[in-house]
Amino acid sequence: MAPGEKIKAKIKKNLPVRGPQAPTIKELMRWYCLKTNTHGCRRIVVSRGRLRRLLWIVCELMADSEVAPWVVSCFSHLSPVSFFCVLGLSRQQLHLFLPSTDSRRIRGQGQGQVCQVELEPAPGYTLTYQWLVDGRHLQSPLQKCWFRQTHQHTPRASRQWWQRYSAVKPLLADLEQETRAALKTLYGFSEIESRKRREAEPGSSAWEGPQPKFLHLIPLMVFNEGETSKATDFLTGQKRKVSGSIIHKAADVMHVQESKEVVGFQLCSNGTSQCAVYTFSSGVNAIQEWYKLHYMNIMAQVPLEKKINMSYSAEELLVTCFFDGVSCDARNFTLFHHPMYGNCYTFNDKENEIHSTSMGGSEYGLQVILYINEEEYNPFLVSSTGAKVIVHRQDEYPFIEDVGTEIETAMATSIGMHLTESFKLGEPYSQCTEDGSDVPIENIYNAAYSLQICLHSCFQTKMVERCGCAQYSQPLPPAANYCNYQQHPNWMYCYYELHQAFVQEKLGCQSVCREACSFKEWTLTTSLAQWPSVVSEKWLLRVLTWDQGQQIKKKLNKTDLAKLLIFYKDLNQRSIMESPANSVEMLLSNFGGQLGLWMSCSIVCIIEIIEVFFIDSLSIIARQQWQRAKKWWSQRQALACPEAPSSLQGQDNPVLDIDDDLPTFTSALRLPPAPEAQVPGTPPPRYNTLRLERAFSNQLTDTQVPAES
Amino acid sequence: SPPRYSKVKHLLKDLDQLMEAVLERIVAPEQPLSNATRTLNFTLWNHTPLVLIDERNPHHPVVLDLFADNHNVSASGSPAPGRACNAQQCKVAMRLCCRNGTVCTFRKFISATQAVTEWYTLQATNIFSQVPTQELVKMGYSGEQLILACLFGAEPCSYSGARVHLGQVIHPPLRFVHLWSLGLPAAASAPPPTGLKLILDLGQEDYVPFLTSTAGARLLLHEQRSYPFVKEEGIYAMSGTETSIGVLVDKLERKGKPYSQCTVNGSDVPIRNLYSDYNTTLYYQCEACIRSCFQDHMIQNCSCGHYLYPLPRGQKFCNNQEFPDWVYCYSQLRQSLGQRETCIRMCKESCNDTQYKMTISMADWPSEASEDWIFHVLSQERDQSTNITLSRKGIVKLNIYFQEFNYRTIEESAANNIVWLLSNLGGQFGFWMGGSVLCLIEFAEIVIDFLWITVIRLVAFCKSLRQRRAQARYAGPPPTVAELVEAHTNFAFQPDTANPGAYPDEQTLPIPGTPPPNYDSLRLQPLDVIESDSEGDAI
Repeated sequence: MAPGEKIKAKIKKNLPVRGPQAPTIKELMRWYCLKTNTHGCRRIVVSRGRLRRLLWIVCELMADSEVAPWVVSCFSHLSPVSFFCVLGLSRQQLHLFLPSTDSRRIRGQGQGQVCQVELEPAPGYTLTYQWLVDGRHLQSPLQKCWFRQTHQHTPRASRQWWQRYSAVKPLLADLEQETRAALKTLYGFSEIESRKRREAEPGSSAWEGPQPKFLHLIPLMVFNEGETSKATDFLTGQKRKVSGSIIHKAADVMHVQESKEVVGFQLCSNGTSQCAVYTFSSGVNAIQEWYKLHYMNIMAQVPLEKKINMSYSAEELLVTCFFDGVSCDARNFTLFHHPMYGNCYTFNDKENEIHSTSMGGSEYGLQVILYINEEEYNPFLVSSTGAKVIVHRQDEYPFIEDVGTEIETAMATSIGMHLTESFKLGEPYSQCTEDGSDVPIENIYNAAYSLQICLHSCFQTKMVERCGCAQYSQPLPPAANYCNYQQHPNWMYCYYELHQAFVQEKLGCQSVCREACSFKEWTLTTSLAQWPSVVSEKWLLRVLTWDQGQQIKKKLNKTDLAKLLIFYKDLNQRSIMESPANSVEMLLSNFGGQLGLWMSCSIVCIIEIIEVFFIDSLSIIARQQWQRAKKWWSQRQALACPEAPSSLQGQDNPVLDIDDDLPTFTSALRLPPAPEAQVPGTPPPRYNTLRLERAFSNQLTDTQVPAES
Repeated sequence: SPPRYSKVKHLLKDLDQLMEAVLERIVAPEQPLSNATRTLNFTLWNHTPLVLIDERNPHHPVVLDLFADNHNVSASGSPAPGRACNAQQCKVAMRLCCRNGTVCTFRKFISATQAVTEWYTLQATNIFSQVPTQELVKMGYSGEQLILACLFGAEPCSYSGARVHLGQVIHPPLRFVHLWSLGLPAAASAPPPTGLKLILDLGQEDYVPFLTSTAGARLLLHEQRSYPFVKEEGIYAMSGTETSIGVLVDKLERKGKPYSQCTVNGSDVPIRNLYSDYNTTLYYQCEACIRSCFQDHMIQNCSCGHYLYPLPRGQKFCNNQEFPDWVYCYSQLRQSLGQRETCIRMCKESCNDTQYKMTISMADWPSEASEDWIFHVLSQERDQSTNITLSRKGIVKLNIYFQEFNYRTIEESAANNIVWLLSNLGGQFGFWMGGSVLCLIEFAEIVIDFLWITVIRLVAFCKSLRQRRAQARYAGPPPTVAELVEAHTNFAFQPDTANPGAYPDEQTLPIPGTPPPNYDSLRLQPLDVIESDSEGDAI
C-alpha cells in the first residue's frame, strides 16, 4: 500500500462510523449520544441505573432550556439584516475579525468617559446617554474649534424686524393708506376720528384718494356667521354671493365665542375664476395676513442692495459690545438679510474671526446693548417690540420666524446656554440622513441639511413648479423669480392652495424629507432683570447717547435699549448617542459564551445537530420507508409468482460469500506439493474468527462497505 | 445685593465727583471746565486716567487728556484739534502705567460706557480693598433687611428659623458684600414642602449708581458645601414680579482614573483652594480652583491679591498707595490667554457634580388689586410706618420649588472592562473553534515541543556532522561503507558473504514441509465493536 493510502486508511479506521449508516433512529441516537461534541449526552447512554440516567437527562434538558430562550431573545433583538450576517460568517472571517474586535475593546476601555444610561429599550437598539463631560479638559486643547462650532449666536434683528419703516414708507404708502381706510370702514375708526359704529357709515365715503388697487386685487370682506355664502364687500357695501370654498383659518375651538361677523379675504385665480375665501376669527389676524401678502408682493420687486440699505446697519443696532472682557464692534458681526425680518447680524460667523472663550459664566460671554427704535416699526406688519436672538451652528440656517428668543426693551436679558449634541444611528436602525445627499430634494439654502431646510426647500420647489414663481420669504431656487403681481397675477391663490396642501401633507414633502442624524441644540435659561436701574439710568443714557453719536440724532430713551448677555453656564457638553444594543460580534460572543458555558459546544455542535437530527434522521426514515415499500412490492411480486427464489440467502454472510475453497498456504505460495503424503495437510482455518464484525449487526445492502482489496 | 449707597457714600465721595466730571467732559467737551472741577481730588485720577484717542487721522492718533486744562499730557504735543469729536472718531481709553509712569499702555474701549464702568470698578476696588471686611459687611443689607417674608413649605421661616438655615456668608467680593445662603434641609420631611417663598427688598434706590446698572435679585442654587459664584452663574429675578423657579436636579458622577482626569476632593490638584474657608475643605469646585489659581498668579506677578478673590494668608489686597503698578499688572494678567490656559490645565474637573435645571416664569406682582394692602403691610413691617414706603421696583417675590421629588443621577460606567473583554473573547473563541484557554496552552505546548525537538535534531545533526568530520581524518583511503557497517549491526539483513560456512549447505538438506500454522494465536476474542472493527480492517 502507498503511504498516502495508508494514512487514509488509518484515519478511516479511527474515525467513528458516520451517522447515516445507522439503520434505525435508535441506533443513530445512540451513536450521536456517544460520539457528539456536546457534553453530557454520553453520560445519558453510559449511565447505569434509571435514576442516574434520569438525572442526566434532566440536567441536559435544563442546560438546553437555559440556552434556548436566550438564543431566541438574542435573535429577536437583532434586526434581520444583521441576522443574515451571522449566518453568512464563516470560520475564515473570524480570524480577520477577532483581532479587530479585540483592539476596539481595549481602545474603548482607554477612552472610557462613556457612561450609558439605557433610555428606551427599543427593539433594535437602545439610546445611550454619553456624557462627554470633558469640562475644560477636552475643551482646553480643542477649545477653539469647539467654540467655533457652538458659540455662535446671532443677535438678530432688533427692530430689524422688518425694514426701517421710514425708509420703506414711500414704497408702502399706498398700501398703508388703504389699510387704514379698510380699518376705518371695518371697525369704524381712524387715528383722528373716534370710534364709530360700522353700520352707521357703511364705508362708501371712505375713499378720497385714487381708486384702491390693493383692495381690488384681494377684497377684504365681512362674513356673517350663519350664512357663509354671503359676504359684505365693504368696498362697495354690497352683499354679494361668494362662490368657491371657504376656508376657515380659525380653529374650530374659536367658534365657541359668539362672534356675529368674521373678517376674511377672497383669493381668486384669474384664469379659471376659482375662488377661495379665507376667514379669520379675529380681524387682527385677517388684516395682518392681508397686509403681509401685499408686503411680500411689493418687496419682491425691490433689489437686494436696496433692501439692505433700507434696514439698519450693525453700527446703528449695536451700542456697545463686549466679549470675554474685550471690546467688540460692528466688524465682528456679519450681515444676514432675511426677506421678512430685514437685516440680521451674526456674531462669530464663519466668515469672521472666531471669538472663543474658555470659561463659563456671564462675565466671559457676549454682552451687548442693542438700540431698538420703536418709532420705526411698521404698525401693521409687526405689533411687538424687541429683538430676536437665535443660537445656532455656523453651518445652520437660522429660521428666525420659527425659533428664537425674544428680547424685551428696557431689560437686561441673561441667557445661559447649555449644549447638547445628539447623534442618531443611521441605517438600518433609523431613517435619518447624514448630510442630506440621499434625500431627493435640492437644498436651496446655503447651509447644512436639516429637516426644516428640507421641508422649506421642498415647498419652494413645488411652488416654482406649480405657480411658476418663488415665495418671497424663502431663498430663490436656481432660475426662478420671486412672485409679484405684475408677472404672476395668480400667485396668491396658488400659494394659499399649495400651502393648504402642504399642511395637509398632500405634497409628499413630509414623507420625502428625513431627519438629520446629528444635531446640536442649546438649552437656554433665560432670566430678566430691570435695566438700567433707577439710580444709574441718568448717567448711563447720557453716555450711551454719546456712544451712539451721529447715528441717532436724538437722546436715547431707556425703552430704545435692550441689554443682552449670552454665555455658557458651564463648559460641560452633553452628548446623546445611540449605539446598537447588540452588534454582530457581541451576539456571536454571547452566543458562544452561553453555548460553551451550558453545553460546552461550539458551532460544530450546531452543525452536528443539523446533520444528525435533520439530514440523517430524515434519510434513515426515508430509507426505511423505501425498504418497506420494496419489501411490500416484492411480496406482491411473490404473491403474483410464488416460484421466485428468495433473495434472503446471502444475508448472513454478505462479504465472505464462499463459493469455493480459499487458497491454502501452499497454494498461495505456489510451493511445490509435498512429495510424500505423510506430510500432514493444513487443516482448514476457522474462518469464523476472521469474520468481520460490523458496527451494526445487520448491514443494509446499499451501505455496504466496499470489499477490501 | 450690592452695598448700600447710603452707607458707602462717604468712601466713594471723591470717586463719584470725579466720575461725574469725567462724564461731563466726555459728553460735552466744548464746555469750559467748571469751578467745581478744579476742586476735585485728582489723586485717584492721576493714578489711572482716562484719555480720549482721536482717530480721525488713522496714521497719527492723538491722545487727549480729558482734563486737558489742568494737565496737558497729550502725547503728540500739538494742541487739541477741535475738541468736538464723537464716539466714532474718538475712543475712550484707559492709561495704564507702571514703573512710576515710565512704561504706559492704553487700553482702548470701543464704547465709552464700557470704559467708564471698567474705570469706576477698578477705582472702587482700590477704595474698598482698604476697608476691613467686617465694616463692609455692615454697609450691606443684613438678612432681616433683605428678606421681608419667608415661607418654607407651609411653615414660616426667618433668620433664626429652625428648619431653614439662613446662614450668612461673608466674603470680600465687591458687588456682593454679603450673600445670603438659604440652605434648604434635605427634602426628607414627610409631607413634601411646596417650596420656598420669599419676598425680597431690593432697595433699588440705594444702589451705587456707577457700579451696577442692572436692578434685580441674583440668585443661585448650589450645594450646601459649595461656594456660590453668583456673579458668574446666578440668574436674575426681576423686581415687581413674582418669579417662579422650578428646579430639576441632575447629579453627575464621573469615573475617575483611568477614564477621565477628574478629582474627587481636589487633593491631587496642585493649587491651594483659597475658598476653603467658605466650604468644607474636602469639597472641590472647579471654579474655585480657577479663581484660586488666578489669585496665585496675581500674587506672583503683582505681589498683591486682587480684591475680588479671597486672600491667602500673609498677603495684602492691591491698592494704589502700596502697589502703584497693580492696575497695569492686573490688566496684563487678565488679558493673557496663557495664564488662563495654565489655570485651566492645572484645575481638574470635579468627579461629582450637581446641576440644577431651572424653569423660570414670571408674572406681575403685586397685582393692582392687591398692591395696596401688600405694600401697606410690608411697609408697616419694615419701617413701622403707616404710609407706603415700598414701591413696585423695590420688591420681588420668589417661589422656588422642586418640580419633582426625585433627582436624576447620571453615572459613568465603563463600556468595556477586562471581564467583559475576556468573556467576549472566550465566547467567540468557543463558538467558532470550540476552544478554550486550555487549547491555547496545548497549542503553546506543541510549539514548545516543536522547538525542543528541532533543537534536539539540530544538536544531533551537529553531532553527526562532527563525527563525519572525525571520520574524515582517517589516514589512507577511507573505509568502505561495508567496512563501517560491519562494525555495527546489520540492519539491512545483508547476506554474509564473508563467511559462508556459518550455515549448512541448503542443497544438502531436504526441503521441510510447512509447519502447520498456529491459527489459534490469530484468534482474538471480539472485545468490543471498535476492536473487531480494526481487526476487520487489518485483513
